[in-house]
Amino acid sequence: MTVFRPLVERRTYRELLFLLSGAPLAAAWFGLLLAGWLAVGLLAVTPLVVPALVAFRWATWLAAAAEAAVARGLLGVDVRLSRPRPAGRGYWGRIRAGLADPTFWAQQLYLVLRTTLGFGIAVGLASVVGVSLQLVVLPVTYSHFHEDVLGLHVQTGGTAFALVPLGLVGVVASAWLVRGLAAMWARLARMLAEPFAASLPRTDVQGILRRLLPAHAAFYAGLNLILIVIWALTTRAYFWPEWTLMPLAVPLAIHAWTVFVDSGDPRRIARTRALAIDLGAAMTLFLFFVGIWAVTTRAYFWPMWPGLGLAVVVGLHALATMTRRIDVLTTTRAGAVESAESELRRIERDLHDGAQARLVAIGMSLGLAEQKLADDPEAARTLLAEARAGTGDALRDLRDLTRGIHPPILADRGLEPALAALVARVPLFVELRVDLAERPREPVESAAYFVAAEALANAAKHGGAARVDIRAVRIGDAVVVTIMDDGHGGANPAGAGLQGLRGRVEALDGTFRVDSPPGGPTIVEAVLPCAS
Amino acid sequence: MIAEDLALLRDGLTRLLRDNGFDVVAAVADGDALVHGVMLEEPEIAIVDVRLPPTFRDEGLRAALEARRLRPQTAILIVSQYVEHAYAAELLADARGGVGYLLKDRIMDVAEFVEAVRRVAAGGTALDPEVVAQLFTTRNRAGPLERLSPRELEVLALMAEGRSNAGIAEALVVTVGAVEKHVASILHKLDLPPSESDHRRVLAVLEYLQG
Repeated sequence: MTVFRPLVERRTYRELLFLLSGAPLAAAWFGLLLAGWLAVGLLAVTPLVVPALVAFRWATWLAAAAEAAVARGLLGVDVRLSRPRPAGRGYWGRIRAGLADPTFWAQQLYLVLRTTLGFGIAVGLASVVGVSLQLVVLPVTYSHFHEDVLGLHVQTGGTAFALVPLGLVGVVASAWLVRGLAAMWARLARMLAEPFAASLPRTDVQGILRRLLPAHAAFYAGLNLILIVIWALTTRAYFWPEWTLMPLAVPLAIHAWTVFVDSGDPRRIARTRALAIDLGAAMTLFLFFVGIWAVTTRAYFWPMWPGLGLAVVVGLHALATMTRRIDVLTTTRAGAVESAESELRRIERDLHDGAQARLVAIGMSLGLAEQKLADDPEAARTLLAEARAGTGDALRDLRDLTRGIHPPILADRGLEPALAALVARVPLFVELRVDLAERPREPVESAAYFVAAEALANAAKHGGAARVDIRAVRIGDAVVVTIMDDGHGGANPAGAGLQGLRGRVEALDGTFRVDSPPGGPTIVEAVLPCAS
Repeated sequence: MIAEDLALLRDGLTRLLRDNGFDVVAAVADGDALVHGVMLEEPEIAIVDVRLPPTFRDEGLRAALEARRLRPQTAILIVSQYVEHAYAAELLADARGGVGYLLKDRIMDVAEFVEAVRRVAAGGTALDPEVVAQLFTTRNRAGPLERLSPRELEVLALMAEGRSNAGIAEALVVTVGAVEKHVASILHKLDLPPSESDHRRVLAVLEYLQG
């Protein structure tokens, strides 16, 4: 009987324990987060904020370590935390290091989820299990306690026995519920240790939302249809189904809007996905309030007050987004100009020291040969041969240079053959995986190529790597290039090469990350958006 | 016939070939003209630049392959400023010989270039040493080539370029007999069937290296 299987497996009870542990832990983390942020906030104007933040970072880490231990023991997820990295240089540098640490934020997020979602799940699960068990034992207990269960006052044995199957169904259903929720938390728990995007199992959230939309809509339509039919068959007096029609329309509308936003256009108008979704959600909520107003008193137009609040929130969000956007554009534009500038300088230097110098040498050989042609034809012949060899070298220099500017095979055949050709020139074991349905725009393609080329060259030159993994995949509407090597790490992200790549990637509105702890491995990742 | 978009190089190449006793029946500047020319003039060999108008990408290579599909007896010699072994693999895909792929640099060594043109026109192969070098770096790590001695690797590289035993002997300054011995040993070590014809030999080697 597969339906009852979760009931007899020990795993289910361990997972139940984990989910229920959400209630006490939520209380503890709520206290920690509140105290931590309060302390940091209150001390923000004094120098004491630095020790406060450092201590808070460590406290967060300890809480995360405790959570990881619980998740390991009860969920069987293999999460192991590494200690927080040494916290920046100088007194104030510690703040920046703390706030810039993605692990810190991921752990904060996890603790917040545990206090909110986790708490809700624990309470909800406890009541479902409690009520179900209560129903199962009802035939024994009802005469002693005269209980009210599910709003029913049970007085006869018949009613009590009739409710037992419902209790059994509840027990089985909660066992399955435990399994599902535990699987979800197992995914979330990974966040504790691995905030870095490259190591996370990539989930296509947008794709999942899109696929779920029809089911969501069908659920909404089906449920309301049933309720309306019930209403039509019964009283037909007050139209009570409006209280499922309207509130459930809110999440559906926001869901649909999110999917619509991901299809592209509204985002371009609002410049970011978050703002576009915020805008849609605010409109939906406002319409919801107007709806409630319309079906109730219709007297005083009170929805204008929440509407005003929502407008202020959206306005502030837009302002923050725009300010951030301006900052990003300013810095990336400067970065792009700078990297183009230094690239041009490099080309100029290469031409000057390479091909130009060689042509001068060839000219000299030819000039000498011309002089000697009459009286020493043998020497002239040697000079001519030298000149010819020189042109070969000059051509080779130019070829290397053009490959560095834009490899012909990249334009001709696209990313995969170009990377394959690149890999062929490197004496390392390279695992290459390119998975792109179509060719991205040219700037994106060449940025992806040069990220891989530079990272590969670094791995070969400084990284002491023996094996390199290169991946270029499309996730959502971005091309993600990840290069991971097993070298000894310690790459300097502020070095000229990596900094140039950053400029190049950020000029395309992408993000560029280097993670190279001493001892390796080195991971270089570029996310290149390509709205198509 | 010649397909090359830069007039300077087109005229230079024409003069060079005429001086060396070839009959240049047509010199064109783009891919379509190449395909038409091959059908119209029926040349023994077409010397084609990879990068031709209108796209300035691998137009020349595509046109050459198209011309060869329409008129299979045409030999093709691709010349280019750069070499990619992926392109060499495409050229050699039909395994019939009569193809070559050289850097434009090689034209400067006139005697050798003319030799390569004659070889390809006669149904042989000519692969640029750089292509061969690329193949060797790629396969450096993985196994079978490690079984060869350094001398045999040298011979194999020259073989892959399309040289005959006599040509290899000349390049390495050894006797033809010594080369023959090396070749037999290489083919044996790589489990390749012995073969007489030069280009068959090259194709076998390349197929092996890429496979």
